[in-house]
Amino acid sequence: MRKLVAHRREDHVAVAVTDLAPGEEVEVSVLEGGPPLRVLVCEPIPLGHKVALRNIGEGEIVREYGEAIGRATRPIPAGAHVHTHNLRSLRWDFGRKA
Amino acid sequence: MRLTGYRRPDGRVGVRNHVVVLPVDDLSNRAAEGVAALIPGAIPLPHPYGRLQFGEDLELTFRILSGHGANPNVYGAVVIGIEPKWTERVASEIARTGKPVETFSLEGYGDLRTIERASRAAYRLMQEASELEREPVEVRELVLSIKCGESDPTLGLAGNPALGQVVDLLVDAGATVIFGETSELTGAEHLIAERCATPEVREAFLRTYRDYVSMIETKGTDLLGSQPTEGNIRGGLTTIEEKALGNVQKTGSRPVRKILRPAEPVEPGEGLVFMDSSSAAAEMITLAVAGGSVLHFFTTGQGNVVGHPLVPVIKISPNPKTCETMAEHIDVPLPDLLVGEIGLEEAASRILDVFERTVRGRLTAAELLGHKEFVLTRLYPSA
Repeated sequence: MRKLVAHRREDHVAVAVTDLAPGEEVEVSVLEGGPPLRVLVCEPIPLGHKVALRNIGEGEIVREYGEAIGRATRPIPAGAHVHTHNLRSLRWDFGRKA
Repeated sequence: MRLTGYRRPDGRVGVRNHVVVLPVDDLSNRAAEGVAALIPGAIPLPHPYGRLQFGEDLELTFRILSGHGANPNVYGAVVIGIEPKWTERVASEIARTGKPVETFSLEGYGDLRTIERASRAAYRLMQEASELEREPVEVRELVLSIKCGESDPTLGLAGNPALGQVVDLLVDAGATVIFGETSELTGAEHLIAERCATPEVREAFLRTYRDYVSMIETKGTDLLGSQPTEGNIRGGLTTIEEKALGNVQKTGSRPVRKILRPAEPVEPGEGLVFMDSSSAAAEMITLAVAGGSVLHFFTTGQGNVVGHPLVPVIKISPNPKTCETMAEHIDVPLPDLLVGEIGLEEAASRILDVFERTVRGRLTAAELLGHKEFVLTRLYPSA
């Protein structure tokens, strides 16, 4: 049974398909194919939530499905929970557009 | 596939055989419900609008109401309004399909006499409908629709790609499949634009999307807090882009052939088509049914319970917690797809199996639980 799934190999995040506990080293299946990746989970991750697959810098564009899903609002270490506390949409930002 | 349905006078095919009691306005809800109370099985569609609307907003309300009467899942319609002119306008659109339509207006009669007269009409239509037999029908004779709701990342990983395979197969077999949810394409609109069949369709799609974004901008706000919803966020979706990228998985891979206005009627055989629509479950389904959809596929992560009064809504969920805690709402549970114990093809064949049985008359979870959400989309306030 797989526990963490990424869409593309280049994605910054994978999705937990079961609840994960900190300290677990988990294999990451990649839907586009190829050998699994590995990540050491460092926070509790509920089913459906995202884990960083590598260190992500503040301000970096975060990718899932091979596409941009937002920008990191603070540094995110590999294995951390990625959600509204550290990732923000690049859209719905009409006031700031040129 | 072995499918059966009801063939209507205009040749269109329905998968249910309802008699509808349609109030043109809020004032006529009471009479419509009175008829349905006397004639079991007749389906009333009460709603809060239909008075002092104007322009495009009024046209949309008319299109939704007449589209429900004209929907191929309907044998015949009893239309009730406060006054005869608008009542006749809705009824005459339905009558273009050749199906029986009876109209009543309250002014000059009152509720009680109207309920009696309209009930006699509903009685007659119910009896006629009961004699209609199912006959073999083909996928290419059907208009279908898709949407996801209470989404979470389990849909983008599993539920939506599985439905996407089903959509490809149905489109290849000649069905029309409607998708929509304009706001929920934000961040994935370029992927839909790339799939538009011609430059004209692409331009129409991008215009529809841009008009939507401009409408939000004129309100001086954004959709943070609404898109994604609190339920989406609880389920793990963080941004609208992530939600949209998961959402579009269910549209499969075929070209987008048409861009429809909200509730615009569409024929079978058009392939995959986009309808400008809200992303709210009941509003989107209501618009698709007005456009002619006779069956709706609905994927859910956290557990949306929506149904529709006239159209079976097949619920699909890959989320194991939802399939356990809300089992009575889910027609196709796919938690084994999420954890990789089955593949997309097996999941798609399970969805197709339930689709075939539902077309032939098997009741869906939403039908069994009495979910009959009918929600009109408004474009702006009444006069």
